[in-house]
Amino acid sequence: MIDLELLLDIAKRDLLDLWMAKMLVVMLVLMPLLFIGMFGYMYPPSPSPNPNTNNLGSVYPNLPVCLVLMDNGQMANTYANEFIQVSTEQKLFTISEAASFQEAKNMLVEGKLKGIVVFPQGFSAALASKTPATVQVTVDESNPTIASIVQSEIAGVFNIINSEMSAQNIDAIDGGQENSAYLMQPVSIINEPLISGAASSFQFLAPGFVALTVVTGSLIGVATSISKEKEQGTMDGLLVAPVSNISIIAGKVLAQTVRGMIQGFITLGLAILVFGVRIYGSPIVMILVMFLGTASFVGIGIVLSAIAPDQETANVMASLLQFPMMFLCGIMFPIEQLPAWMQIIGKALPLYYAADALRKVIILNAGMNLIMPDILILIGYAAATMVCALPLFDKAMRK
Amino acid sequence: MKYAVDTLNLTRQFGDFTAVDNVNLQVQEGEIYGLLGPNGAGKTTIIRMLSTLLKPTSGSARVAGFDVSREASDVKRRIGLVSEKLILYTRLTATQNLNFFGRLYKVEPMALKKRIDDLLAMVQLTQFKDKPISSYSSGMRQRVNIIRALLHDPEIIFLDEPTTALDPQSTRFIWDMVKGLRSRGRTIILTTHMMEEADELSDRVCIIDNGKVMAADTPAALKEKFHTASMLEVFLSVTGREMRDSTSEHLSMRGVMAEA
Repeated sequence: MIDLELLLDIAKRDLLDLWMAKMLVVMLVLMPLLFIGMFGYMYPPSPSPNPNTNNLGSVYPNLPVCLVLMDNGQMANTYANEFIQVSTEQKLFTISEAASFQEAKNMLVEGKLKGIVVFPQGFSAALASKTPATVQVTVDESNPTIASIVQSEIAGVFNIINSEMSAQNIDAIDGGQENSAYLMQPVSIINEPLISGAASSFQFLAPGFVALTVVTGSLIGVATSISKEKEQGTMDGLLVAPVSNISIIAGKVLAQTVRGMIQGFITLGLAILVFGVRIYGSPIVMILVMFLGTASFVGIGIVLSAIAPDQETANVMASLLQFPMMFLCGIMFPIEQLPAWMQIIGKALPLYYAADALRKVIILNAGMNLIMPDILILIGYAAATMVCALPLFDKAMRK
Repeated sequence: MKYAVDTLNLTRQFGDFTAVDNVNLQVQEGEIYGLLGPNGAGKTTIIRMLSTLLKPTSGSARVAGFDVSREASDVKRRIGLVSEKLILYTRLTATQNLNFFGRLYKVEPMALKKRIDDLLAMVQLTQFKDKPISSYSSGMRQRVNIIRALLHDPEIIFLDEPTTALDPQSTRFIWDMVKGLRSRGRTIILTTHMMEEADELSDRVCIIDNGKVMAADTPAALKEKFHTASMLEVFLSVTGREMRDSTSEHLSMRGVMAEA
């Protein structure tokens, strides 16, 4: 059914048409530049300090946090139980346990956890010998807002436990040589970063913007290029030639995917060069996710071009879809900040999964296995929308 | 006898509106067949069905011996379409356009290049071939548009109002081209509102009104039948003098959605 040669001819023609419109090309390059430029300067690359370390009333209750007990001593168990008790009472976290840090870390990258607290070996022994002990905290840095909340809440919980414990310690002073640090703060926290170097808010935003640019670039491109040909009458020239519908569509989709990817690379390039964003994961997996992101939206683009009576309407419809997606799909803000019903809408849109997967790859160095759910959802979306789009295309074009 | 176009009770409805109503046409190979009718009579709908762009609601049509519904790709390879709207990308040059459309028909590259050169020379546009279509006059655009439909040397050529809004020089040039195609054995189905054009070019004409065939014969026979020397009088005798003011509601989005 698909004729590769014709498909490439159609795609090349589409890109040539775009290339001939120099002013449009300039605008298409300028758009991601402006976009990323604006936000890059709005979110400075240094992590913002966290002022309220003792504020335990959470706007995001019951965040999933995992405890890893590398120490089986009595004090470690006591502290862990206290931690569970305090954080459950205050509805801060839903606590789970993992056998190893690696296991917990994988769950974090997959998005099942927001934070990890490790009680290292020697924890109980240190306290038993009346010297201060440490716990190691790791948070999901792909989501800076949630990360700093989890971090401060964990610190807050330990403050509460510490003040109880130090009261007991002071009561137990028998005039001997005591370690004052041990008396004041028996347990302190060491933050174990998930990735080396500090993650800025912008590091969180950049992959989302790349996903948004790629996806909407090709969505608007497909909707516009098909409805333009329909409106101007040139589509008849394709339909009257011995070319299958699927080759026409595939050609258009390929051309507009290339366009979207180029816009995405411009966004990414600027984020890297000017704003110091780093790619921690595999570039190949990243490109695959970008490609699947566009694939999940082209069906929607075809549907828009089929139902819109003209190019202008198709264009407005695509832009109308783009705007709320910025907020619904966790591009600008973490999706957790939205009310539950909005989160449901956001999670019904494929951009959420494209942005999520891209963020995990770029920031958290996630491999294919960890983003497989996202990938499968994107493929499913692409297939389902394509199945709906093909008959609608035929119906709309042959009238 | 094999016809270039042969329809049997060809019908197309848009919702409740019957645009083409049980039309039976037989076009012989190698003739110029004029399809006449007031606005909204159904001429373009017939052409769109014959060129596989629209599926008939009922009835059937064979073009070049193939069924337009069941053997669409065989039909497509043998027809060329010049529709009311220009089928050219205006940002691209004539050469770029012709190359693209030629490749859609899988014309072999060397043969295509020669064909494009010959056709451009024929319509006297060789010197402008690398200029974008947007810089062309309407007469130049239409000449490129017509050779665009001839790249794969089709047996049957549909010309839907090919000279509308062109100057007399361009009109005359296109008439000569059309006659030249007939002399090389091609079949041409022509729609027009210019009765002079229909008279000058057509071997036979068919007058359609409200989706039905009202009269079909040679221009000479029709003129004799209605005792007049002008095709315009023939046309007005057949279709009346009342103007046809209606909106094409069936072409709007609502129509499509209702169909779906």
